[in-house]
Amino acid sequence: MDERLEKALDFSNYALTINKQKRNIRNRVAQLQIVHHLGGVFIANHETIAFIKTLIDLKHKNSVVIDSKNNPITVKSLPQLLEKLVDAYTSATTEFDIENEKLKKARNIKKIMDW
Amino acid sequence: MKEILAPKGICFFAYNNDQLDYVMMALTAGKYAKKNLQLPICLITDEGSSNWLEESQPKDVIDKVFDYIVITNDTMKKNNRRHYDSPWTTFAAQFNNSNKHKIYKYSPFEQTLLLDIDYIVKTDALLKYFDGDYPLCMFDNALTLRNELPAHQERFLYDAGIKMWWSTVVYFDRSEFSEMFFNTWAHVADNYEFYQYLYNFPSKLFRTDYCVSIAVHILNGMQDAESQIGNFDNTSLVNMSQKDDIIETKNENEWIFIAHDQKEHWKSILVKVSNQDIHVMNKRALSREIEAGGI
Repeated sequence: MDERLEKALDFSNYALTINKQKRNIRNRVAQLQIVHHLGGVFIANHETIAFIKTLIDLKHKNSVVIDSKNNPITVKSLPQLLEKLVDAYTSATTEFDIENEKLKKARNIKKIMDW
Repeated sequence: MKEILAPKGICFFAYNNDQLDYVMMALTAGKYAKKNLQLPICLITDEGSSNWLEESQPKDVIDKVFDYIVITNDTMKKNNRRHYDSPWTTFAAQFNNSNKHKIYKYSPFEQTLLLDIDYIVKTDALLKYFDGDYPLCMFDNALTLRNELPAHQERFLYDAGIKMWWSTVVYFDRSEFSEMFFNTWAHVADNYEFYQYLYNFPSKLFRTDYCVSIAVHILNGMQDAESQIGNFDNTSLVNMSQKDDIIETKNENEWIFIAHDQKEHWKSILVKVSNQDIHVMNKRALSREIEAGGI
């Protein structure tokens, strides 16, 4: 086989593997961002965290908040929900960062697989 | 590889044929690139075109624009290209582009921006990619002067084919990845008929856009996914089609075009372009404007 193609195909396999791995990490992160609270499902992302913080800043103690499934949820304690959201966000992003750094350093398939 | 003479710079390939004065267009494109990007410029050409450049253009202008001139002696593939000059006029000319992948060897720069001679740089937008994270960048989408998507065959290699990447503007560094990319491009160019069968792209013309699109596809693991190849932050290459024309260049920056309708050619509109890098694909129109002293 043409040596240039052989090298390109080797890299192609590496690119395919690393992209699948990145997607796996993102799926895992997305799962870590899910917060169940009082029967509702919330995503710990910038938008939800900022919205709940805004309600708190505006002196709301409780509120009806639409969750990610489009259902109205009566949140009795907004600070409690905020704390849960921030915890979930922090653990998700920390894990994302650690795994991402590992992938960045992985220059071949063996390293990606941690062999 | 040539000796590295400067850390950053711009390269143009220009080989004249019996219809178009590529070195004259390279001189104009170089003038714009130098003004707006403030980087040294290298012209890659052959002996005949270089001689014509010296004969037809003042020496001080050539010296002001081109910091380096590299003379090549590559055998070019026979590549007869049909050009349009408005929807109503066509002409054919040999298009010498089969050695474009050798830029990695010919460029005298550590970081290179390779531009086509019909790419007119009117902003400094491309400068930031010299400090970016990607070892290689190209455009993977384009817009017409009317802000519309180009024809389907300019977006995909065939109806159900892979996405087209444009080789009009290529930024690259001297990384192992960039070298592998140009080697893959060379492999595709050397086996063009095979890849034409595999990827089903149109047959008549040797197009480096097809070569780079296939090289990207292979290196991305045969999938449309994020990769080490940047796409200039998803910005679009703005194409003046060969069927459009330049009406007036008010000054170096403000150009007025007549832009045709892709389906009904006679329905044209005027478009003013300023502060926008532009790919002037109608080379006759560009030549006319240069010769008239408009730009």
